Amino acid sequence: MHCNCGNTKLLIAAAGAVAASAFILLKFCRKKKLTFNDDSNVVYLVQLPRGKRVPSISPFPLKLETYLRVAKIPYENVFSSQFSTKGKTPWIHHRGTDLGDSQFCIEYLNKQFNVDINAHLTKEQRGVARAFLKMVEENLYWVLACARWVFGSPSRAGFPSSMNSLVLYFIQRKVKQYAYAQGMARHSAKEVFHIGKLDYQALSDFLGDKKFLFGDKPCETDCGVFGMLAQVVFNQPDSPHYEVIKKEFPNLERFCWSMREAYWPDWDQVLEKA
Amino acid sequence: MGLRGSKPTFDDSSNVVYFIQIPLRGLRVPNLSPFPLKLETYLRMAKIPHESIMISTLSSKGKTPWIRHRGKDVADSQFCIEYLNKQFGVNLNEHLTKEQQAVSRAILKMVEENLYWVLVCYRWFFCDPKDLGLAQSFPWLIYAFIRRRVRGFANGQGMGRHSPEEIFQIGKLDFKALSDYLGEKKFLFGDQPSETDCSAFGMLAQFVFSNIESPHCALIKKEFPNLERYCHTMRNTFWPDWDQVLKGDASSTKL
Repeated sequence: MHCNCGNTKLLIAAAGAVAASAFILLKFCRKKKLTFNDDSNVVYLVQLPRGKRVPSISPFPLKLETYLRVAKIPYENVFSSQFSTKGKTPWIHHRGTDLGDSQFCIEYLNKQFNVDINAHLTKEQRGVARAFLKMVEENLYWVLACARWVFGSPSRAGFPSSMNSLVLYFIQRKVKQYAYAQGMARHSAKEVFHIGKLDYQALSDFLGDKKFLFGDKPCETDCGVFGMLAQVVFNQPDSPHYEVIKKEFPNLERFCWSMREAYWPDWDQVLEKA
Repeated sequence: MGLRGSKPTFDDSSNVVYFIQIPLRGLRVPNLSPFPLKLETYLRMAKIPHESIMISTLSSKGKTPWIRHRGKDVADSQFCIEYLNKQFGVNLNEHLTKEQQAVSRAILKMVEENLYWVLVCYRWFFCDPKDLGLAQSFPWLIYAFIRRRVRGFANGQGMGRHSPEEIFQIGKLDFKALSDYLGEKKFLFGDQPSETDCSAFGMLAQFVFSNIESPHCALIKKEFPNLERYCHTMRNTFWPDWDQVLKGDASSTKL
């Protein structure tokens, strides 16, 4: 009688590895039912767990939370890997309403709380603000996504501890697919860096010596720009993107510090301890 | 109409720029894709001698348009412009201040990376296929195949995850930004056009001249009429042969 002991051991090992992977993945993706108090006027901001160097390793939760602080809207963080109905993060829950997409959230909250942090802008400035917001969120975002996830192996440095290597692997797979669909990943790493540099140049030239993009008061676009640049300036100090900002566009780093000091005095306290 | 077209032959000793664009001649626009229209408008504005070739051969990046010049292929309309600026010593943004150049970059990206996807979603998901405005209709199987691919791209990029009303609202905010910035000016930055005008025109022309049945066109006419005026200004200035091009009479600019 022939004994297939070797194959059996291999099968058991493979089954064990699959079970362990599934457990680790589920631990991150487990959809614990979130409960909210719908009688309260508090805005629940649902986002990924804190990073070790930035409050969020994704620019959009950081944008939205910064907006809430600038607009002085009472909110409560809910740290969860549960995504919105659009499959993205962050999202909000307010008086029984769930809403995804950071910009739709801002439009909703502006109405609900009668807020307009763009009120001090002229009509022409609002047009420019919209353009810069879209440049940063629909172009620079993909430059950074490609730099982090498409070219080379992503580092876990600065990420929340709950995001282990397996989770990062699945994120990387998805981002590569999305970045190709959007178009940025069709370019070479050098071309993508060049595209990013032109965006930094535009931001830096427009900001000039001003404290914020349009003067001494921040607007919605400052929140979006800060959310994006903070990923480079505070979270990726070893990246060529940070190097080029430090060397050629130092006012962008100064801008990040201005936003952080003004609206995140508790920055160090909120981070996950390294 | 397949996407693996024939390879054209070029005269690489000549200084002429071969401008290769996908054959999507519209009933009402020279090309249903905004990027060939952008690049061709730039070539005309910069007075760069060029020859248009309409074939379905895509670029090395799988996109349209691309150019060939002295044996070199360049893909992506913006990389093409950067290359041609160097080769021909052209700078259509020379008259802009540093701050205006920055705003120009921001508007370019808003139009090409945001408004573009509003157009794509409208055309491929919400528009009646007969309203596409193509000069030659797609075989239905090819239309269905492209539509499926575009759905995947739009979901990956993000715009495809929104509802039709949300996508329309996103487009409206972009139109408003363009309209508010343009104001009463002839071009985006005054009396002289610049690079970003080529892109803004390439995109807006799709709504204003091509998809005339769309709610976007109706919105522009009603709330942002200066954008329609702007499109006519660009067309009259750089495309005096617009009607001939549509009929296929002009060889699409051989300078």
